[in-house]
Parts: sequence; structure tokens; C-alpha cells
Amino acid sequence: MSLEAHNISIAFGGLKVLKDVSVAVQPGVITGLVGPNGAGKTTLFNCLTGVAQPQQGVVRLDGEDISVYPLYRRIQLGVSRTFQTPRLDLDASVLDAVMMGFYSRNKPSLFGAAVSLPSRRRLERQLRAQAERLILQFELTADPYQRSGALSLGRLRLLEVARAIASSPKYLLLDEPAAGVDEHDRALLAKAIRRAAGDEIGVLLVEHNVGFIAELSDHMVAMVRGEIVAAGKPHDVVRDEQVVTAYLGGHRVAA
Amino acid sequence: MTGYSKWLGSVGLLIAAIAGVTLLGEFRPSVYSTSTTIGIFALLALPLGLLYGQGGTVSLAQGAFAAIGAYTTAIITTRFGLSPLTSLLPAVVLPALIAFIIAKPILRLPELSLALVTLSIGTVVEVALQRGGDLTGSFNGINGIPALPFVGTSRIRAHFVVWTVVVLLVIGYVNYMSSLRGRALNAIRTDHLLAQAMGVNVALDLSLLFAITAGLAGLGGWFYAHTLGYVAPDSLSIALSANVLFMVVLGGRKSVLGPIIGAAIFTLASDFLPGTESQGMFFGGILILVLLFSPDGLMTLVPRRWRQRSTSVAALSAKPNPVVPSGAVQ
Repeated sequence: MSLEAHNISIAFGGLKVLKDVSVAVQPGVITGLVGPNGAGKTTLFNCLTGVAQPQQGVVRLDGEDISVYPLYRRIQLGVSRTFQTPRLDLDASVLDAVMMGFYSRNKPSLFGAAVSLPSRRRLERQLRAQAERLILQFELTADPYQRSGALSLGRLRLLEVARAIASSPKYLLLDEPAAGVDEHDRALLAKAIRRAAGDEIGVLLVEHNVGFIAELSDHMVAMVRGEIVAAGKPHDVVRDEQVVTAYLGGHRVAA
Repeated sequence: MTGYSKWLGSVGLLIAAIAGVTLLGEFRPSVYSTSTTIGIFALLALPLGLLYGQGGTVSLAQGAFAAIGAYTTAIITTRFGLSPLTSLLPAVVLPALIAFIIAKPILRLPELSLALVTLSIGTVVEVALQRGGDLTGSFNGINGIPALPFVGTSRIRAHFVVWTVVVLLVIGYVNYMSSLRGRALNAIRTDHLLAQAMGVNVALDLSLLFAITAGLAGLGGWFYAHTLGYVAPDSLSIALSANVLFMVVLGGRKSVLGPIIGAAIFTLASDFLPGTESQGMFFGGILILVLLFSPDGLMTLVPRRWRQRSTSVAALSAKPNPVVPSGAVQ
């Protein structure tokens, strides 16, 4: 049981962005993927979510080869993601944004959408209540009908996590969730991520902010220039020579 | 606020308006032909409102698909002598099928390119109809299309039949928009990548919707052919495609009643204004004013409290109303 990238290689023209990279996300485990800019983190992330396809290697979901599945199918199979820049309709309400997350598991048929049967209305009431609970749990806003655009960047990231949780994922992949987020919202985000892992969701965090990830993750992977240079306990990875060199340009400092 | 109570408002409003028009027709029978024309335009404009207003995907081919529907039924009923009810299915399915086939490659284009491509579908159809020889009657078109058996020459029946279909479509529209599929459609309008990340098969969903939009235009064409009794290449033309988009934008592309109001204004103005030039001036002027002062159409001028009941989805967004002189709608 895992979401894994197996010996992935990708080159853009002559530039090898990923060289034979393998990573596995286990249920209930928070895996942190760190590396300086240009390390290939986002490309690896895109391979796992289906935005990019590997030129070599395979992506497996619980043993099934999903390398060529498009993004929308992976969501249906339980691989949810958030975006570096939150993507949502800023004019729609917070409730509407969270409700959107239920689509992949509760999509009505074309005919079912055009007629309003009592069973559908019941389902929608249930989902609405569930969305309101998520909004409360994530401490997004006191008013579910508030415009999403009125939230801070941190809350928008949190909103994306809530929306991803609404799709009942088996694996949750977060692309730089802590970038540009203040202390308070970052604490809320950490709480939400821990809770997801507690619910047996496998979490992959991609960040270049090492501090946030080292504190949060159970397992840490460091990438430099398209290769994995260190993997293991966060405590060990942040002290790894190559990681320190990549981040600090060769000068060792006491951690 | 449940999906149910939201749509009761707009359906109730529409039925009340239809009842009013029906009463009016008791004194002036010509009202029925006008209202039938509005209803036929609404069949073209309403699904385009869904595709464009809610899905952010423009189409300038509604006139062309209506022409395909109208000619399909005209050819089947006059050349083969079959009943209009037999030709109903092909008149709807053929445009829908054509739309579905061409949808996948074109619907990923940006808005302006998509407008131009769909517009050129109209050109292709129009030329094909003009050069169709005996089959399409070339430039003369086809005469002597039989009236619908359950309508005959009764104007009031045509009025009722068309508006019954429009009411059913409005109900379907609002149900669709209050379902998770409606949310998915709004997500597509916001951002295709976002929609995919929510598990939406964007290409398939848009293709299906584009096909339904075309099929309903075909239905409008079917009504048109059997109400008027003839079709010609220029009766359902490129100009009509542009006018249908005009109705949607004028009335309000994000509200369910917007396209119908746009269809009504367009039809009434065409009836009352003499000459094509003054019509063009009126439509051009009103479009500029609407786009300047109320970019989401006339429906956004309706007071918010009212709008929450009469529109489906925009109701939840707390966009401030633009400041516009009041009384422009009623």
C-alpha cells in the first residue's frame, strides 16, 4: 500500500530534471520532500499527480501502474493535491469551494443532474453539513457564505487542504503549503496535516522551507539537481553534508 | 437556502410572465406569434447561457446548429413525406452529434479563437445549404413544410408548446446548476486545471454540454421550420448566431432568466424598430451601455434580494452591484 514513483527520469531538452528518482508515500505517514530551487521537486510532484508524465520509470498506486492516467482520474482513485498558488473562484463562497471537493466521489449522472430527485437533495444536504463541519474543523471562517477572496493566503491554502480532504483521498500531496503563510495559519496548517495523517492518509509535502517540514514530517527526502541525496529521519537529513552544502553553499553551521 | 427554494423563484416568475402574455394574447392574437418567436430564440439562447455563462465556453454556432435541425426536419418531412414527430429525433440528434465530434479539438482553444472557429462552422453550413442542389433547395430553401400535428395553425398552441419546453429547460438548468455538476461547470469556467484537480473530466463534460447545446438549437430549428412552414439559407444564419450570443450577454450570461429576457428584448426591438439600420444602432448602443455599466447583463440590475431567488448560482457570491440608474429592467 503506497503511492510510489519508481526510477523516474525526465529531461527537458538536454536538461535532466529528474535522474532515476524513487519516492514512496505510505498511508498515515507524512513524507517531506525538500530541496533548493531547481532541484526537481515540482516536476516529481507533477509526475505523481498526473500533470507531467515520466519519460522513464513508473508511478504506482497501491501496485497499479498509473503513469499515464490523467490528473482527473488520479483524483477519482484517491490521489488529491493542492496548488502552490491557490486555485479557486475568489467570488464563490467558502462553502461552495469546499463543496467542490465532494465532486469526485459523488458526481451525479448527466440525467441525475437535470432532475432534482429527493435522494439527490438529501445527499446535497448531507454534503453541505459535512462541508460546514470541515470549515469549522479547519477554522477557515465563521461564516461559510463568506467570499473566498476575503480570506488570507494562509486560509486559502487551508481551504485547499479542506477541499482536498472532502474528496476522501488516500494520498494527499501538498505543493509548498507554507510559503508566504504567517505563524498562526502555519500552525493551523500543521494541525490539519497531522490530523490527515492520523486518519491514515499518506501525505507528501513539497517545500523548500526546511524548518517547517523537518518539524512536521515522519520521513524526509532531500533532492539536489534532480537526484535524491538523502532520505531518512528529518533529524538526520537536515544534518546531511550534501543537503547543508546545497542550501548554504558549503559553509557548515551548527544546527 | 436549498437548491429547491432557489429555483422555485425563477420558474414561478417565468410561469407568471407566460400567463400574463397568454392573457394579453386574448386581446391581440399577434402576441402569440411574437411570444413563439421569443420562445424559439430562448431554446437557442438558454443552453448557450449554460455553456458560456456557467462554463466559460463561448459558441457562435447556435444559428448553424438550428439551421441543421430545421433543414433536417424540412428534408425528411417534405422529401420523404414523414411526420414531423418522426423527424424530431434526427433534427435534435444530428446537430448534437456533429457538435460532439468537433468538440474535443476546438473546446480547448482560448475564447477568441473558439469564437472564430464556431463562427466559421456557420459559414460552412450556410454555403453547404446554398449549394445543396435539390436536397436543400439551394438559395430558395424549402417550402411547404407541414405544421406540427398537435399544433396545426393554432397560434396559441404553438405558444404553449414552445414555452412548455422552455420552462422544462429552465427547471433542468437550475437543477443542473445546483448539483455537483453545476459546481464542476463553474470550476471549469474558473480554471481548467482546477477542475481537473477536482476530478472533472473537462474535455468530456464540455463536449457533452456543447452537444446538448447544439441539440437544443436543433430543437429550436425544428420548431422554427414547422411554425413558419419554410426555411432558407439566410433565415437561420451567421447573423442569428451572433444575435443569440447578444441575447445571452444582454440579458445576463450568469443567470437562468437572462438569456430569455435577452431573447424577449431582441424580438420586441426587431418588431418595433423599423429598418435594419435603426435596429443595428439600437442593439449596438444598448450592448455598449450594458457592457459598460453591468458587464454581467441586465439581470444583475435586479435588486440582490430578488436575484437570490431568481438566479441559481451567482446568488451565493457577494459581488457588489454596480451603480446604475434604476428602473432599467422593469
